[in-house]
Amino acid sequence: MTTLAQHRTIAATNTRSKRTRDPVRWLYCAAFLVVTVALMLPVIIIVLTAFKPASEVNAFPPSLFPHQWTFANFKAIFSALPFGRLIANSFGFAGGVTLFALMFDSLAAYALARLDFRGSRILLIVIIASLMIPFQATLIPIYKIVSDLGWVNTFAGLIAPRAADAFGIFFLRQFFLSLPRDLDNAARIDGASEWRIFRSIILPNAVPALMTLGIFTFVNNWNDLLWPLVFTTDQKMGTITSGLTLLTGPGGIIPQGIMMAGALIAILPLAIMFLLVQRRFIESVASTGLK
Amino acid sequence: MTTQQQLQRRRPYRPPGQLGGRTPLNGTFKRRATIVGFLAPALIVLAAFVGWPMISALQLSFTDASGFGTPRFVGFDNYVRIFTNPNIVRAMGNTALYAVLFTPLAIIVALVLALMLNSDRLPLRGFFRSSLFLPFIVSLAVAAFAWSYLLDPQIGLLNYWLQTAGIRIGNVLQDPVLAMPTVVLVAVWKSFGFYMVIFLAGLQDIPKSLYEAAQLDGANGWKRFIHVTFPMLSNTMTFVVIVALIAALQAFDQIYVLTGGGPYRSTETIVMQIYQSGFKDLDLGFASALSYVLLIVTLLLSLVQFLFFGRRGEDTAS
Amino acid sequence: MVLGADSRCSVKKLASVIAAAAVLAVGLSGCSGSSGSQSSTGKVALTFWHGYTEADGGVLDQIVKDFNASQDKITITTQTKTWAVIDDTLLPALSSKNGPDLVAMTSDRLPVYAQKHALTSLDEFYSQASSNTAALKPEAVAMETVDGKKYGVPSGFVPLSVIYNKTMFAKAGISTFPTTWDQWVADAKKLTIDANGDGTPEQYGLALPDHATVGNGIWPSLFEGNGGSITNDAGTEATINSQANVDTLTYWAKAIRNDKISPTGLDGIAADKLFTAGKTAMEVGGPWMAGVATASKIDYGIAAIPAGPKSQAASAIGISLAITAQADSNKQKAAEQFLAYFNDKATSTKWSLGSGWPPLRTDVTVADVSSNATVAKLTAISPNTRPLLPGVVNSTDVLTAIDTATQKTVAGGDPKQLLDQAQTNITSALAK
Repeated sequence: MTTLAQHRTIAATNTRSKRTRDPVRWLYCAAFLVVTVALMLPVIIIVLTAFKPASEVNAFPPSLFPHQWTFANFKAIFSALPFGRLIANSFGFAGGVTLFALMFDSLAAYALARLDFRGSRILLIVIIASLMIPFQATLIPIYKIVSDLGWVNTFAGLIAPRAADAFGIFFLRQFFLSLPRDLDNAARIDGASEWRIFRSIILPNAVPALMTLGIFTFVNNWNDLLWPLVFTTDQKMGTITSGLTLLTGPGGIIPQGIMMAGALIAILPLAIMFLLVQRRFIESVASTGLK
Repeated sequence: MTTQQQLQRRRPYRPPGQLGGRTPLNGTFKRRATIVGFLAPALIVLAAFVGWPMISALQLSFTDASGFGTPRFVGFDNYVRIFTNPNIVRAMGNTALYAVLFTPLAIIVALVLALMLNSDRLPLRGFFRSSLFLPFIVSLAVAAFAWSYLLDPQIGLLNYWLQTAGIRIGNVLQDPVLAMPTVVLVAVWKSFGFYMVIFLAGLQDIPKSLYEAAQLDGANGWKRFIHVTFPMLSNTMTFVVIVALIAALQAFDQIYVLTGGGPYRSTETIVMQIYQSGFKDLDLGFASALSYVLLIVTLLLSLVQFLFFGRRGEDTAS
Repeated sequence: MVLGADSRCSVKKLASVIAAAAVLAVGLSGCSGSSGSQSSTGKVALTFWHGYTEADGGVLDQIVKDFNASQDKITITTQTKTWAVIDDTLLPALSSKNGPDLVAMTSDRLPVYAQKHALTSLDEFYSQASSNTAALKPEAVAMETVDGKKYGVPSGFVPLSVIYNKTMFAKAGISTFPTTWDQWVADAKKLTIDANGDGTPEQYGLALPDHATVGNGIWPSLFEGNGGSITNDAGTEATINSQANVDTLTYWAKAIRNDKISPTGLDGIAADKLFTAGKTAMEVGGPWMAGVATASKIDYGIAAIPAGPKSQAASAIGISLAITAQADSNKQKAAEQFLAYFNDKATSTKWSLGSGWPPLRTDVTVADVSSNATVAKLTAISPNTRPLLPGVVNSTDVLTAIDTATQKTVAGGDPKQLLDQAQTNITSALAK
C-alpha cells in the first residue's frame, strides 16, 4: 500500500522524467539515424553506382555520387538481355514458391504444433535435420529427379523442389506453439473439425508470421542464384540473378555500372512489396490487440 | 504414408478440454486421415526433393562417384580422407571460428535492434524498420560487390575517406588476421535484418500486461528484460539460434565472392571445400561424405541447443 | 469476428497477387530447352555451349550458322553462358543427360573432365587428314592433351602481355618499351610517383598481382623467364623449389617491397581495376584489356613480357573445344565434322580476327591478320607462348600452392622456405 507521500513522489518523478524524456527521445532517434545510415551505406552505393557511367565506376579518386548521372546502364541491360522476360520469370519462380510453401508449410506446421501423434518429435527433428545439409550436396540428385520427371526448363521443375521447405515448417510450428490453446480447445469441444480450426482460428491469428515467412521465402528465392542457374539451360527461362551472370565480360571483368543497374531493378519490387506488407504487418499486429 | 518411426511415449493422461492438454488424435481412422491430410503435401515434396537426395548423397559418399561413368564402392575411404587432409581439417577450424564469431554477434545485434524498434520511445519506427531490413533484400553477389568497393585498398571509398582523416586500414580482405572478422561483419550486416524481424514478431506476442505487472513490482528495464522478455522469447530464441547456427556452418556465397577462401585458405569454409571437391575436382563421393560430416556436426550442436532452450519452451507452451 | 475478417482479407489479397503473378508467368513460360535428337532421315541436331559473351560470341555464332548453312545434315544450336557458369552447370547437366554435345571451356578445366570420362577422346579425329589439325600450333594442342590422349581442339591460345598507358610513358620520358627485366623494373621505378611523400605512391609503375593472377599465368611467366618451372614436362613431378625460382621470387619481391613499383596483396582483377582507374602505368593482362582500356579512354599500348635472364616467355591462356561423352556415335561424327570446319584455314583466320586472339594455325601469319591491330600485335609476340600446366588434372590445388608461395613472399616471407612448402603441396596435388 502506497502512502500519500509516496504517491506524490511517484507523481513528481513521472513529471520530471516526462520533461527530460523528450530531448532524450530525439537524441535516441538521431543516434539511431546515424547507425541506420551507416548500415545502409553499401545499399546507397549500389543505387548510386547504377547511375554512373563506366569511366567513373573504377575511377580514382572515388566518389559516392556520380559526377555525371546517366541512364546508359539501364538501357544496356535491357538491350543485352531479355530483361523484361527475366523479371517475369523471377516473379513466377519466387511467387510460385512462396504460394505453395506458405500453404504446405502451414498445414504441416499445424499438424506438428497442435495434433498429437506418435513420432511427431522425431519427424520434427528429421525435418530440421534436412536444413543441415548444404544445397551443393543435394543439387545434383535433385536435378536428376526433376529431369526424370521431364520438367527441365519448366516452371514446374523450377518451383517443385521448393514447394515445401523445412525452414518454413519449423518457423510456423514455433509460432503456432506460442498461440494460446484456449480458443481452439473450445472449438474442439464444440465439435469443430481440425481443418475448420486451422482455417478460422489459427490462420487469422498467424498473419504476422505468415507475412514474415512469405517475405523471407519470396526474397530468398528471388535472389537465389545456384538453383535457377543450374536448372535453366535455356536462356529465356532464366531469372534476373542468373541472367545478370551473363554480363560478366572476358577475364572475369564485371561491368559494375550495368550490374548495379540490374541489381537496383531487382531490389525495387522487393522493397516495394516489403513497404506495402510492412504497414499491413504493423496494422494486423496492432489490431489483434493486447492479449 | 508418414515415414516416422513409432516411438513408445509415456505421458500422463490428460482429457482434451483441459488447458494445456494436447488432443490425442490417435486411434480412429478419421483422425489418422486428418493428420495425414495435413502433413501429406509438405511431406511428399520434402521426401521427393530433400529426403531422397539426402539418401542418394549418403549412398554416393561410400563410392568414388564423379557424376560420369559408373561409381565404385569404396567403403569409408572418403571419410578417412576427410580427416587426413590438412586442407579439410583447416576448413573445419575456419568454419568453427566463423560460427563462433557470427552466431552470437548476429543474434545480439538483431535482438538489441528489435528491442529498440519495439519500444515506444523511438519515433519513425516504420522508416527504421524498412531501412534496417534493406541489407537482407540485396542479393549476396551484389552485396559483396558493394562491400569490395568500400573496402578496396586502392580505389575504395572507405580507405579514401579515412585517408583524409589520416587513418589507413590497408587491405583488410587479404590480411590473414583481419580477413575472417571482415567476412563475418559483412555476413552479420546482411543477415541481422532477417533475425531482427523474427524477434520483432516474437516480441509483439508478449502481452503488455506482463510488463505492467513487472513495473508495478518495481522492476527496472534490465530486470524486466531478464524476467519477462527473455523467458517469453524462448521459442523464438530456440528458432533463431538454430537457424543462425545452421547458416553460419554453411557459409559460402559471400566468402567465395569476397576472398575466395584466402588469404592462404584462412577463410575457407567446409561448404567451400564441398563445392570445390564436387564441382571443381568432380569428386562427388568425397563431397557427399564431407556434407554428411557437416550434417552430423550441425545436428549434434543443434540438439544441444534444442535441449537447452527447448526445455523452457515446453514449459511456457503448455 | 471483424478482426478475423480483416486479417483474412489481407492474407487473401497477398495470396491472390502472388497467384496472379505466378499464373501469368507460367502462361508466359517457354517450352523446354533444346536437346539433341536424331530423326529417321539421318539429320543430327547438336547443342553447343560456349562462354564467348561479347562481340566474339557473335562471330562464333555466325561461324556456326555458316556451318549449318553449308550442309543439310547437321544443325548446331549455341547457348552462351560465361566460362564460370559453364563450369558450374556442366556437371549437373551432363550427369542427368541434359548437357551439351559440344562444349567450350577454359583449358585448365579440360584435364579434370577428361580424366572423369566426361569428354570423348579425339585421338582418332586428330589422326585423320580431313580434321585440319595438322597445322595447329603444337603448344596449343599440348593444352588439349591429357595422359597422352587428345581431348579437345584449341579455340583460343594467347600469351599474357603487358598493357601500358602511353600517356604516362610519355610524361616520364620513356620512348621505347623495355625488353629485359632490369629495364622493366627501372622503367617501373620511373613511373612510380609518390608526390606527397607519404610512402604510398599515387601512381604505380607496374601492377603485379601476387595471387589469383590473370590466367594464373603471371608468376609461371616470370619463373620461365629465369629458366625455372613449376612441374616437369610430363606434369608428373614438382620442380618449383629450384634455385632459379628462389632467385626470381627474391628479385621481384624486392622490386615490389623496396622499390614500391606495385601495391602488395593484389589479385588479377584488382590489377585490371587499377589500370582502368589510371593508377598504374603497366599491368600484365589478357587480350580483353584492349577493349576495356578503350572504354576507359586510356591511350594504351601492348607489348611482350620482357625477357628474363634466361628467356623471354609468356604463359598462355587457353580455351578448348571438346565433345562430351553424352554425344552418341552419330552426334560425335557430326561434332567432329564441325571441328574440322572450325580448323579450316579460312574459318580459323576469320575466328582469330573476330575473337581478337592470335590465330591457332601455324600457317596464318601476322600479315593475314593485319586488319585487326590488336590481333596483329598479339600474333607478333606469341612465338614464346608456354602452355600452363598442360594435362595436369588437379591444377586447382597446384595453383593455390603457387599463390600461397608468391603471396607470402611479397608479404615479406622467405622465398626458399615458401617454395619448399609449395613443392610439398604440389607433389601431393600431382599424386592425387
